[in-house]
Order: sequence, then C-alpha cells, then structure tokens
Amino acid sequence: MFRQFISSVSGSQVYLITSLGIFLVFFIVVALMLFLMKKDHIKHMSEMPLRDTK
Amino acid sequence: MQLEKFNYDNKIVRNFGIATIVWGIVGMTVGLLIASQLFQPALNMSSQYTTFGRIRPLHTNAVIFAFVGNGIFMGVYYSLQRLLKARMYSDTLSKIHFWGWQLLIVSAAITLPLGITTSHEYAELEWPIDIALTVIWVVFGINMFGTIIKRRERHMYVAIWFYIATFVTVAVLHIVNSFQLPVSFFKSYYLYAGVQDALVQWWYGHNAVAFFLTTPYLGMMYYFLPKMANRPVYSYKLSILHFWSLIFIYIWAGPHHLLYTSLPSWAQSLGVAFSIMLIAPSWGGMINGLLTLRGAWDKVRDDATLKFMVVGLTAYGMATFEGPMLSLKQINGIAHFTDWIVSHVHVGALGWNGFLTFAILYWLIPRIYQTSLYSKKAASFHFWIGTLGILFYAIPMYWSGFTQGLMWKEFTPEGMLKYPNFLETTLAVIPMHVLRAIGGALYLAGVIVMTWNLYKTMAQGKLLANEPAESLPLAPAFVPHASEKSWHRSLERRPMQFLVISLIVILIGGMVEMMPTFMVSSNVPTIATVKPYSPLELQGRDIYIKEGCVNCHTQTVRPFRSETERYGEYSKAGEYVYDHPFLWGSKRTGPDLHRVGGKYSNAWHFNHMFDPTTMSPGSIMPPYPWLMEQDLDISTTPSKIKAMRTLGVPYPDGYEDKAVDDLNKQASEITANLAKDNIKVASNKEVVALIAYLQRLGIDIKASKTAANLDNN
Repeated sequence: MFRQFISSVSGSQVYLITSLGIFLVFFIVVALMLFLMKKDHIKHMSEMPLRDTK
Repeated sequence: MQLEKFNYDNKIVRNFGIATIVWGIVGMTVGLLIASQLFQPALNMSSQYTTFGRIRPLHTNAVIFAFVGNGIFMGVYYSLQRLLKARMYSDTLSKIHFWGWQLLIVSAAITLPLGITTSHEYAELEWPIDIALTVIWVVFGINMFGTIIKRRERHMYVAIWFYIATFVTVAVLHIVNSFQLPVSFFKSYYLYAGVQDALVQWWYGHNAVAFFLTTPYLGMMYYFLPKMANRPVYSYKLSILHFWSLIFIYIWAGPHHLLYTSLPSWAQSLGVAFSIMLIAPSWGGMINGLLTLRGAWDKVRDDATLKFMVVGLTAYGMATFEGPMLSLKQINGIAHFTDWIVSHVHVGALGWNGFLTFAILYWLIPRIYQTSLYSKKAASFHFWIGTLGILFYAIPMYWSGFTQGLMWKEFTPEGMLKYPNFLETTLAVIPMHVLRAIGGALYLAGVIVMTWNLYKTMAQGKLLANEPAESLPLAPAFVPHASEKSWHRSLERRPMQFLVISLIVILIGGMVEMMPTFMVSSNVPTIATVKPYSPLELQGRDIYIKEGCVNCHTQTVRPFRSETERYGEYSKAGEYVYDHPFLWGSKRTGPDLHRVGGKYSNAWHFNHMFDPTTMSPGSIMPPYPWLMEQDLDISTTPSKIKAMRTLGVPYPDGYEDKAVDDLNKQASEITANLAKDNIKVASNKEVVALIAYLQRLGIDIKASKTAANLDNN
C-alpha cells in the first residue's frame, strides 16, 4: 500500500511529502532534546515564576 | 558575590495597562456599532466616515493592535523584568515604545475612517504608518533583548521564548506583508498580485492570529497562571514541546483561508494538513494550563481572576479545535464566508484574549498599587456578564453561519437554487445579528464595570513606580557542568541563538509554501484575454478599496455548483494577475462580485449606490451618496499607471501621458449611457469610476470563451 502511495506522488505533491518529512525530523529532534533534559533542571525552570519576587 | 539591589519599572506596566483598558472600550464600542449597522443600516449615519466598510477595519485594528497589543506589552514588561531579575534595559526606550504605539493607534483611528487603507485585512495601514510601526517594534525588540542581555537569571523561562518568537515572527510577517510601491503619501500598491498576494496576505493574516493573539498570551499564561495559582506549571517538558511544535506548525496553516480558491491545490492541502496537526500543540498548551490548577480548583470557586483564566483557556481550546475542523474542506465549503467564521474568531478574541487580559489586570493592578482589589463582587459580576456576553455572541453567530451556508447551497427538486436572491439569505439572519449585538453589549458592560473597579482600586492604593528587588549577579565566566550541556539547556541561556533558531523554524513553512507559488509559473497559469484595467477602472478599483467594499463582498467564485449557478464561471488564478492588491475578501455579507461585470446596467449600479434599497428592497447595504458628489482625483492617474507598470502590468511605455484622455473618454461613455436612463451625472464623479470597475469585473474570461468557441467552429 505504501508503495502505491509513493508511486502516486507526482509533481507538486512532492511538496506535501517533503513538508511532512521536515516536520517529522523536527519533531524527533525536539523529542530527543526533551528526553535528554535532566529532572532537576526541569524542576528549577518550572519554579522560576514563583521565585521571582526577590 | 554580593547581592545587587535594583528596581522593577512598574510605571510602564501601569501605563500599558491603562492603555489596554481605554483602547479596549473604544475598540469594542466600534465593534458594537458595526454589529448594529448590520441590522439597522441607519446607524451608518449617512456619513462616509462612519460606514461599515470604513470602520470595520477600525474595530479589528483597535481590538487587535490597541487592546490586545497594549495588553501584551503590559504582561511582557511585568513578567520579563521579574523572570530575568532585571529592570527594563532602558526607561527611555520604554517611553518611546509606549507613546509611539499610542501614536500609531491614533494614526490608524484617523486614516481608516478617511478611507486610507491597503485593503489587506489586519494590515490596512498605509506605508508611512507601516514604517513607523516597524521602527516602534524594533524599539520594543531592543528594549526586550537589552533586558535579556543584562539579566541576572541564567536560563530563560518558557514565557520568554514565546516573547522572543513573537517579536521575531511579527517582524518578519509585517515586513513581508508590507512590500508596497508608494504612489503618493497615502496610497501604495502591493508588489504581489492576485493569487500570490492572497497567499502572502493569509500567511500574514493567519500568523497575526498565531503570533500576536496567541504566542505572547501563551507566554503570559505560563507566567501569570502559576503566580495566580501559586504552583508551578503542570509540565515544563510539555511546555517545551508545546513551544517548538506550535511555532513550527502554525506558520504553515495560512492557506486554509484560501480553500477552494484558485490557489494551487497542493498549497491548500499543505495548509489543511498542518492545520489538523495544530490541534496537538494547541491542546497541549491548554491542557498544561488547566492541569496547572490541579489541586487548586477550590481557589477557582472564590477567585474571579482564576475563573477568567479557566474560561479563557477553555475558549482557547474550543477555538483551536474548531480552527482545524474549519480547515477540513467539507466543513470549510459550508462555513467559509459566513458568520460561522466571525463566531470562531470571537470565541478566541473575547474568551482567550479578552478574559486573559482581564485576569491579568485584576491580578496585577492591586499588586503594583500595593492594595487589594476594590470589589471582588464586581469582578465576579464582570466574569458572569462577560461569559454570558460570549454565549450571546457566539451561539447566534453559529446559528447564522449554518443558516447562511446551507441557504446558499440549497437547491429545489427541479435543480434550481432555492434562494436565488442573495438578499433573502442576508435577511434570514437579521434576528441572529440582533442577539449578537446584545452579546457584545453585555461583554462591553462587563468591561466598563471592570474599568470602574480598577479605577477605584488605583484610587485607594498608591503606585509603587519603582519596586525594589535584589539578586545575585550572573557570574561573568560561566563554566557549564556536564549536566548543563544538553542542547536545550544551553539554548536557554543563549538568547541570540534562540532568536536565530526560532527565526529559521518559522521561515521553513512560509518558504516551502511561497517559493514555488512565486517561482514556478505553472502555479499561476495566465489567460491571454485577461488585460490590464483601463485608467478609469483602475481609479474605480481604488474607490472600491477606499470604501472597504471588500469587507462585505468577495471576489472569488468557488468551484461549487451552488456558486457557479448563482454567480457564473468559477474564478481562475490567471484572472487576477493584474490585481495589486487581490480583493478576494473573507466574508459574504453581500454577494460575490467577481462576475458582476455586465450583469446589471450602469443605471442599476448608479441607483444602487445612491440608495441600495431602491434596487434591492430591504437591503442592509449603506447608501453612498457622496460618490455622486465627490470629484475623482485624476491627477494621480499617470503615477498609478507608472507604478503598475513597474509592478509588471503591461501598460505600453508612455501610456501614462494618454491615460487621462482614455479615462475621460470612458467616463463620458458611461455618463452618456446613464443619460439614456434619465440619470444626469458629471463624468468626473467618483461613482462613474466605480461603475466602470464593477462592469469590468470578471468579464475578460468571457472573451476567452467566445474566442475558444470561434476557434472550435
């Protein structure tokens, strides 16, 4: 089915596939960044608005 | 290291806060007036300066750039200083920013009723104001980045990323959508034409919603909601995912405003696909906000501020679910150009932007005035009357939208349009428009109560103009630990890199959609019989723009049988190649006009413009008697022809010298024709040019059909 889908891609539809590809790569990079973040840093960052008075 | 003592600038926050309230009342009052004009045309007040077409942009500009704009700056100036533990970079820049922004608003309030407009929605201001706006936006940017650079907090909290993305994206959107060739100090033509102009405008228009009405407010939500609930945001990781996916995806979704038009279908499909994907980050943000209140729902019961936040977030969730649904072609086919879109927009504007702004004002004003809110009861009353106002606004408009969409498409069993007279469909929704105006009045009443409450709060307190604070300075040489080296963590302490990466992320979508439309000629096929406008038609087109006809009439017939039956041949990309700017419109309060050329006589148009009800009894279109009195300014004709030629319209060299003669000749022909119907009008009046333009609309393609038929025979 996938092959049939790819073979039907012609002309301008390449923009669609490329765009979704770009998003997929971007999303994976962001997910990877999140995965690599440390818990203590996340906690530190999330409490920032509550620490800002002094 | 020693603690450093410094002050937060609360005065600038207060000033932006007051401006938010004042312009909010002005913008909403104009909104109520134009809403009422749609069921009581007498409220157009027989003046050209108060007709719907001219003041509808005043309402949209006032609520977006004056009310929400000042609200953004209030929230940003308050939260940025505290999150970075630094006073704003420069008090002078803060003042220039504040007064410059107010001056821009005043210039919009003067020029728009005068009919000085580019016609691009939410970008109507002419080129000198565009340039001034760019300067003031840069002043804001310098002030913000100056503060970020002299900060005492190493890492930037998620709210600040949203502010950075807002700054950079609005700058890009504004500049790209302002490429205009000036003809005079108050008139310019867009560099792009037709389909390309439409794509740029709705890339801008959609992302003005994204990066002016959404991202700065999300930043403010991530700061103020934890403060109000006194607990950290539910998931900081989710906020990171929310941020990057939102700014990446949003920028692609613009073409969903152009479904079924002559925009290449691949671009339409891209817009749809990314609009659907947009649900994920939008709802991620909403859920993150609502779950921040986990364990604090008891506070929501007693605290009007939190109530406003909860309803605001819910409205955001509703609008961002509805947006992608409206992008589905099947739904869009019914909803587009109807009141459904107006309702959709106002759920976001009244619920999300309005309620968040009110919550922040109620939270912030007592704090900077070192007092408590004057009346909690009045705030609670504001919440309930505001919520009721939204319901009274949105529900009738949904009803009206469905009614319009279905009536436009309904056929009789014999295969004829059931409502061939467009006016029937307009009159059917009048009761809904009355209810909508009641909703708007309730909402505005709430704002007035808030104004009184906040005034009393200010009067009983004293402004802490310079709020003392202290913090350790940043170590000059920062050596990151191993754990500090993750990508995102290092990005959070490098504002300039953050800006550049945000810029790249938002540029990708726009470039993929625009470059092929601009570079690949097969995306905009030309039509041999489509010729440039005559000088009189060109002047008439500018009258059409000046009067804001585009606010109620579209110029794009979609390829539905219901539309080709009603209007004629569906619109082709090649028909618009000389249209600087495009005038497709986004709302059909009146019928589409793309095929109106030759449909009625000159006399019909004359009488219709003088008093629409004589030709269409019951019409809600305002009369335009001044068009019969005012002389057409023909002194601009040569410069307009030259400007159009510079933009690629194939007027022959030296035609500008003959243009006025041609204009006069065509005008005389029209007045001679009108005289046959006993209408006496001088050929130098504005109405003659407008008739010339309307009679030209959409007829070139008929010539191409005639030619094709001759070839076939």
